[in-house]
Amino acid sequence: MNKSHDQPVLRVENLDIYYGKFHAVQRVSFEVQPGEIFGLLGPNGAGKTSTLSAAEGLIKPSAGSVRVAGYDIRRQPIYARACMGVQLQATSFQPELTVGEIITLYAGLYGVILTRDRLAAILKDIKLEEQVGKRFGQLSGGQQQRISLVIATIHDPQLVLMDEPTTGLDPQSRRQLWERMEAMRDKGHGILLTTHSMEEAEAVCDRIAIIDHGKIITIDTPQAIVDNNRERPEVIRASRKGRITLEDVFIGLTGADVRA
Amino acid sequence: MSSTFSSTELTVTAPATLPAPRALPSATTVFTSLLKADLTTQWRNRRASIMVILLPVVIVLSWKALIGKVGGAFILSNAVTLGLNAIGLMGYTNSIARDREKEIFQRLRVAPAPNWTIMGSRLTVQLVMIVLMTAIVMIVGYQYDHIVLSVTGYIAGLLMAIAGGAVYLALGQAIVGRISNPETVNATSRLIYIAFIMVGMFGELGMLGDFIDNTVKYTPYGTVKSIVSGAMTPSTWTSQTTLALLITLGYTIVFAFLGIRWFKWSTRG
Repeated sequence: MNKSHDQPVLRVENLDIYYGKFHAVQRVSFEVQPGEIFGLLGPNGAGKTSTLSAAEGLIKPSAGSVRVAGYDIRRQPIYARACMGVQLQATSFQPELTVGEIITLYAGLYGVILTRDRLAAILKDIKLEEQVGKRFGQLSGGQQQRISLVIATIHDPQLVLMDEPTTGLDPQSRRQLWERMEAMRDKGHGILLTTHSMEEAEAVCDRIAIIDHGKIITIDTPQAIVDNNRERPEVIRASRKGRITLEDVFIGLTGADVRA
Repeated sequence: MSSTFSSTELTVTAPATLPAPRALPSATTVFTSLLKADLTTQWRNRRASIMVILLPVVIVLSWKALIGKVGGAFILSNAVTLGLNAIGLMGYTNSIARDREKEIFQRLRVAPAPNWTIMGSRLTVQLVMIVLMTAIVMIVGYQYDHIVLSVTGYIAGLLMAIAGGAVYLALGQAIVGRISNPETVNATSRLIYIAFIMVGMFGELGMLGDFIDNTVKYTPYGTVKSIVSGAMTPSTWTSQTTLALLITLGYTIVFAFLGIRWFKWSTRG
């Protein structure tokens, strides 16, 4: 298991996903490099979660391939999953288990030896040392997200997948999470992030892809996406404050209609 | 690729080093971690577990007067079958439906845990429950009803309880495979549970007429009750009991096949 150096931590190539006759994801391709935060932006139903689920190996694409640190997610799922950490949208941990038990469980699943001192240090780092014996369901949203991030990175993965991680967080918790993401990036982790927040995309993402109706419309740095689209009439129409923002470009490119 | 932006340029300010990949954990380590968590969860839900064990115990105690008429093995096997019903149809089915709804399985599946370890751990917990319930029923039967079996009877009874438990676990798997909504799963499993008790137990006692009495013998309740009873008193094991064992295995295979075929790890998408 030593395939991952000098290559993207995530390579998605010509991904096609169908739900019955509905073509949810259409020939999507992108890469996430080590030490990069890559944002996947799109309206509801655009294909973000389907793309992420395919990257996690939870759904089988109709065509295309996903490679995590060089491992094919369909052919070598266990190896690929060992190289990635995942923060899901839902707080999907057993509510009967305590914080310490959940972290110990996932450490075991990733083959990480977790001593009592190491667990205490991890919890101290995220300012939850007092909550070790508390059940997960009793934590606040921000505390749950911190635990979720700790679990996603407990095995020091090359790739971290985050599905709308700051949804429902207060500004302080959100800022703290951004700082943690940036710290992970600086250590060389690649991060794929889905978000609805343009502020978040601009603040932390090195590159973003805007996806709509299952297709990637554009991929670039946030600034480049703004610069390359600022003259488009639909973007100018979407502008609200006299200057073009990423949100204006997003609305201009994906339309102003509210999606179901 | 820690970076700063200036127009369309992406300036790399620090070289990124990809963290080295970690060695895969062994299947034993993964399974042990899952089992520890699942046993802890079961322990934290011990009120529900106590209820599963309580009803068979009440049957053993309240049917004491019938021992002379129907025999100790009949009472113990009915109580055990009732407990197996509750474990498979109420405990297992509802816990799987709830955890699937909460996406707990999906969270586990994005870790390097093979699917069989996730479900195997859940089934092992149910196996522990089956052994515990059967042992308690036997102890209560011995202690309070003075029902004494041979050593072979105790061991064979326990083994047949495990074989019988597999029918209800497989049936539960089929229910949770077919139905995605946890409330509907709960309602359906309760309905089947009550139907098995009413028709199985009262039918076998002859309270619902000869036709039901004869039919019940071939239902999952009747076959399981028959093999547990036959195993508890090996001298009474007949070709009819062997047929019941074969039917039990057949039910298990069919329900397990359907349960695996229909089962989806997530209710979304």
